[in-house]
Amino acid sequence: MKVLAAELCLPPGVVPLLLVLHWKHGAGSPLPIAPLNATCATRHPCHSNLMNQIRNQLAQLNGSANALYILYYTAQGEPFPNNLDKLCGPNVTDFPPFHANGTEKDRLVELYRVIAYLGASLGNITRDQKVLNPNALGLHSKLNATADVMRGLLSNVLCRLCSKYHVGHVDVAYGPDTSGKDVFQKKKLGCQLLGKYKQVIAVVAQAF
Amino acid sequence: MTPAGPRIARCVALRVPSSWSRQKQRRARGATPRAASFRFPCSHSRPLSLPFLQVSACRCVRRPHLQQNRIPSRNSRPWALAPQLIHSLARATSAGPHRRLRPRPLPTKDSAQPSATTQREQPRRRAPRRPERAAASRLLPMLFGRADPARRGGESDHFATFPSPGVPEHCSPTWARPLPLSLVLSEPLILNPESLNICVDNIYQRLCLQWSVRVHNLTHYQLNQLKMVFQIQISRINTSNIIWVENYTSAVKWNQVLHWSWASVLPYKCATQFAGIRSRAEEKDATIKWNQVLQWSWASELPFQCAAHFVRIRSRVEEEDATIPRQMSWSEWSSWEKVDGQNSLGNDSLVVFPKERIVEEGSSVTFCYISRHYRENISCYLEGTRVHGEQFDPDVTVFTLNNVSFIRNTGTNFYCERDKKIAGSVLYVTEVLEEPKDFSCETQDFKTLNCTWDSGIHTNFLNITNYTLFESISRNKILCEHKNWYNWQVTQDSQEMYNFTLLADNFLRQRSVNIVFNLAHRVHPKSPFDLFVKNNSATKTTVTWKVHPIGNYSTLLCEVELYNKGEVIHRHNVSVTVSGNYLFHDLDTDTEYMVRVHCADANHFWKWSKWISQNFTTLAAAPSEAPDVWRSVKSKPGQCEVTLFWKPLSKLHANGKILFYNIIIETLDKAYDLPPLSIPASASNKTLTLDLCAYRFYITANNSVGRSPAAVIVTSGDPENNVEEERVNGTENGISLSWKPQPGDVLGYVVEWYECPWHLDCDPQWKNLGPNTTHTVVSSDAFTPGVRYNFKIYGIAANKSAYLLEKKTGYSQELAPSNNPEVFVNDLTPYSFTLDWQNYPANSSSQPGFIKVCCKYKINNLEQKTFTVKYLQPESSYQFLVTPYTSVGEGPDVLFTEVTTPDEYSHILLIYIFLMIFGVVVIIIICSLKIQWMKEKCYPDIPDPNKSSVLSLIKSKENPHLTIMNVNDCIPDAIEVINKPEESKIQFLGMKKSLTETGPSTPAYLYLLPAENNSSGPGPCICFENFTYNQAASNSSSCNHFSGSPRVPPNQLELLTAPEHLLKALEKNYMNSLGEIPAGETNLNYVSQLASLISGDKDNLTTNPPVPALCSEYKTQMAIPLGLVPPPQTETNNTPSISLPY
Repeated sequence: MKVLAAELCLPPGVVPLLLVLHWKHGAGSPLPIAPLNATCATRHPCHSNLMNQIRNQLAQLNGSANALYILYYTAQGEPFPNNLDKLCGPNVTDFPPFHANGTEKDRLVELYRVIAYLGASLGNITRDQKVLNPNALGLHSKLNATADVMRGLLSNVLCRLCSKYHVGHVDVAYGPDTSGKDVFQKKKLGCQLLGKYKQVIAVVAQAF
Repeated sequence: MTPAGPRIARCVALRVPSSWSRQKQRRARGATPRAASFRFPCSHSRPLSLPFLQVSACRCVRRPHLQQNRIPSRNSRPWALAPQLIHSLARATSAGPHRRLRPRPLPTKDSAQPSATTQREQPRRRAPRRPERAAASRLLPMLFGRADPARRGGESDHFATFPSPGVPEHCSPTWARPLPLSLVLSEPLILNPESLNICVDNIYQRLCLQWSVRVHNLTHYQLNQLKMVFQIQISRINTSNIIWVENYTSAVKWNQVLHWSWASVLPYKCATQFAGIRSRAEEKDATIKWNQVLQWSWASELPFQCAAHFVRIRSRVEEEDATIPRQMSWSEWSSWEKVDGQNSLGNDSLVVFPKERIVEEGSSVTFCYISRHYRENISCYLEGTRVHGEQFDPDVTVFTLNNVSFIRNTGTNFYCERDKKIAGSVLYVTEVLEEPKDFSCETQDFKTLNCTWDSGIHTNFLNITNYTLFESISRNKILCEHKNWYNWQVTQDSQEMYNFTLLADNFLRQRSVNIVFNLAHRVHPKSPFDLFVKNNSATKTTVTWKVHPIGNYSTLLCEVELYNKGEVIHRHNVSVTVSGNYLFHDLDTDTEYMVRVHCADANHFWKWSKWISQNFTTLAAAPSEAPDVWRSVKSKPGQCEVTLFWKPLSKLHANGKILFYNIIIETLDKAYDLPPLSIPASASNKTLTLDLCAYRFYITANNSVGRSPAAVIVTSGDPENNVEEERVNGTENGISLSWKPQPGDVLGYVVEWYECPWHLDCDPQWKNLGPNTTHTVVSSDAFTPGVRYNFKIYGIAANKSAYLLEKKTGYSQELAPSNNPEVFVNDLTPYSFTLDWQNYPANSSSQPGFIKVCCKYKINNLEQKTFTVKYLQPESSYQFLVTPYTSVGEGPDVLFTEVTTPDEYSHILLIYIFLMIFGVVVIIIICSLKIQWMKEKCYPDIPDPNKSSVLSLIKSKENPHLTIMNVNDCIPDAIEVINKPEESKIQFLGMKKSLTETGPSTPAYLYLLPAENNSSGPGPCICFENFTYNQAASNSSSCNHFSGSPRVPPNQLELLTAPEHLLKALEKNYMNSLGEIPAGETNLNYVSQLASLISGDKDNLTTNPPVPALCSEYKTQMAIPLGLVPPPQTETNNTPSISLPY
């Protein structure tokens, strides 16, 4: 599901002009970013050492991803702990790509998509687990903590994009909504997502 | 088909029951369908007996399978009223119930155009149909021409009155005239189910059917109600595989819009799902009154996704109470309706159904998986345990789990796995919903009703139980937020009666409990307040409190309780309207109490309110009694030490806290008083060192209010009487004491004892007794078993002085002795011994009991400390044990001591031994004194061969010619022994050389030597070396070497060997001697010793042969056979020889 973060209403000819002005390698490819004069105002000035903060947040997520993954599949009961390859494999469709060898701007944009995707999926997982495993308070706490860090990371990435690269809007994609799924499928999709998250966040943290 | 007339329509519009209107309102407000489905049957409390057909347009929810169709007349029949007739009846009755109705002719349109079903079945129904319809045509004008059935007399029997079972009493009935019986006897009625709709609830695996029955083809009949049976068939996989057939019976009422709900048949959730459908059907029925929408559901144990299901239905009209038999036939089956749950499987190659399942504990559940690659190996597990299924069809395998139990509230995964794929579902097992317990409602202020109940334990969070409270009189319903209580707001319309129904429901089940009560009978007052205590005096206290008003004229019954030390001592009931009070009297002074009050409705007791309590203490007063006082007097030279003891006053008599004691001392001998003493309350005695011992003491106890009466006691310096101590026995209640009554004025008696007699500074204990008392039992927790206590009994004279009467000693409980006496054994004889235990303190107070007697030999005299055991056996072992024992038992059972009596003859033996030793000593002494004499007699230095025992032995035997050589006769330096006394001639020719030279002149004995050896040397001779006589001869070589063994002539040998023993001995000695001779030397060694020359021996030389003497002083000498070599053995076989050792 694609969601356009902001509707661009620009006069004709402005976009080619911007492309020319900002031409560089790869400028011909469609960029999912807003033009320079698009609204890119942050309420507060970005932190001076923003990239360090982003790196720390990524490291924090990377450090807790495996524990969250284990906690999740343990709480789901059999057969999840013993069939991780079949049930929790990172087979997530429409997951945003991330290229570690791209420019910082591209990496930040892709990171924004990834974190947005993961944040939405974590919200679904948290909602489902509060119903399916209401007594798994540790899992709930860890899911919430991860979502909180992701929200902060998302804000920091956006601030960085906006302040340095003047990118105010990024198209993001979200995972499937699990509210209509059956219970086993909810468990399975959550496990797959967390497995993917554990895999991706390691690459992302290494890239920054 | 036309709807009902305006009268009916008006009824529909105006007489909708409140429940119905509320349901519609709730639906309009968006209330949940479940809430809207909560219905109650209409009241049947108004039986109708009017001879008119009652047609009610009120809408009520009913349960047809539970409802009893009431037929008031035995001859009544289900009537089929044509709509037109109903319409005309309605118009007629709209003018008034007493207006005569003129019947209109029955329409014939429907009759002329029967339905297809009717046409098909016409041949077999035509015959009975015509006469009935004809009869109906004749009777209808007559029936409707009479407005008042009472005036028709007996004709009323031909009319059936049909009170509508579902009509509430507040609904205005519309009257119609019933049809005569013969009018309805027509052909079999066929009504086909139409508009069959099927819905599937996959969550609860229910198949829901909905259909309608149209009666538009029954224009010739007017029936009030009839009974229909619907037969439903369900097939699985294909239509021929019928798995379920059920006949569903329903009472169908015409001309009445009905809505059917079967709570017991229709599952709860399914009914909820149907709510929307039902609502639409109801709206439709409101305009098309001749149709009905019926519903039925069926639960499948197999998920509908696992296999296709098919459903069809047919119906039959049942005739109740048929007096005229009529053939009833089934309608045509409807077409099969297919339910195919596999249509929505998607592209998954492996799926498990159901996706989720909530079941109650103990029930069975069926899973299935559908695999599009059915040939692959698929395993299914529940909670890690593999389960085996049954192949249902090539794609489907079914697993049935029976009697499932609760595992966890988060559900259990049921999953099937293939090589690279796992599909699963979650099974939730919940407990069976129980009926709420202890449901009750009560009010505290007539404003709210607090309803509470016990909801039990709920373990499954998914199957949440909801509680709904419904009050049927006010028709208010509340969904409770809490699962065990709700505060119901009491309406202000003075509703007295309440009919509450508490409904507990979850996804699977619902339970309900009901209570009906009068509000005034459920008053639970609030707790009283403003509890106040006022002490009027030391023994009276007033308690006041207030209550919360309940209603305008309510009276409360309050219970007042007074507690002292945690126990209720007073309980009273007081009627209170606003405030109450109560006076407690006869209370103890200076005592802490607790008062508490609670109240209840005085008119209709329901429950007590909560308690309100307060502590208070009554006022103090002066002590009411004198303290109990005793004394101890110790006279010392020149002064007297008096110790006064007193016991603290009891709380009853102290009347407050004792602050101090006052002691006033009066001298009896001198006319002056000592200053009073004030002793703190903590002390219980006072020691006074006085000049004299005769005093009178006044002791008082004082508290904050005043002093007690004085206790008087008099001491005197007189010594105590010398009385003998008696023993007393302890019992379970204590130590019993008794004494002789004293003549004269005795104010009383005092028993004194010490509870710690082993302590010197132990305070005395005493007990005051009346003057008429001569017996008491002293008991104390301080009494220890095995401790001897001494008691003194004093008499109190009129002047308050005490004098000793008796002494007692005893134990509260005697114990067995703990030690045995140390026993010594004295005077041990073969027949007795004496035991001695002089050091044992048998009568000591340290004994744990009174020592009585000893064991086998009873010693009753404790002073006897010895015992002689007599009549014993000598040289025998005896064991003894001396142990004391009291009335409780013996002393410790230790090892016995063993005593062995001596032998009877041992002393004689000792005498013998002594004498023997004495004799030996004497002999030794004598011998030592006569040693020279003994030596000479017994072992002289030179033995006398004549005294040799050997010689005497030989001599005593058979050789009387044997002679002994007399040494005195021999030449001193050579001895020649000749065996033949008559031929022998001993010649000593000189020294060695002389001997060799005299070889040719050897005596006759030389023939004993071997002949061949004769030339080799001189003849044999035997030389006795005797240094006493010839030292030179002994050193000669001729005497040192022997070349042969001596040979004895046979004749002489016989002589010598006559006694066999001797010969053997000699041979043996000889052989031993040979063994000592070096090889190659065969000389004989002779041991000789020359006896001292005795003059007498010379005569015996020729007559007595030489006899060897075995004396130690002999020296070894060699007999040298000069020039001779011993002959070989072979040559001497015939001439045995024997050597004689000398």
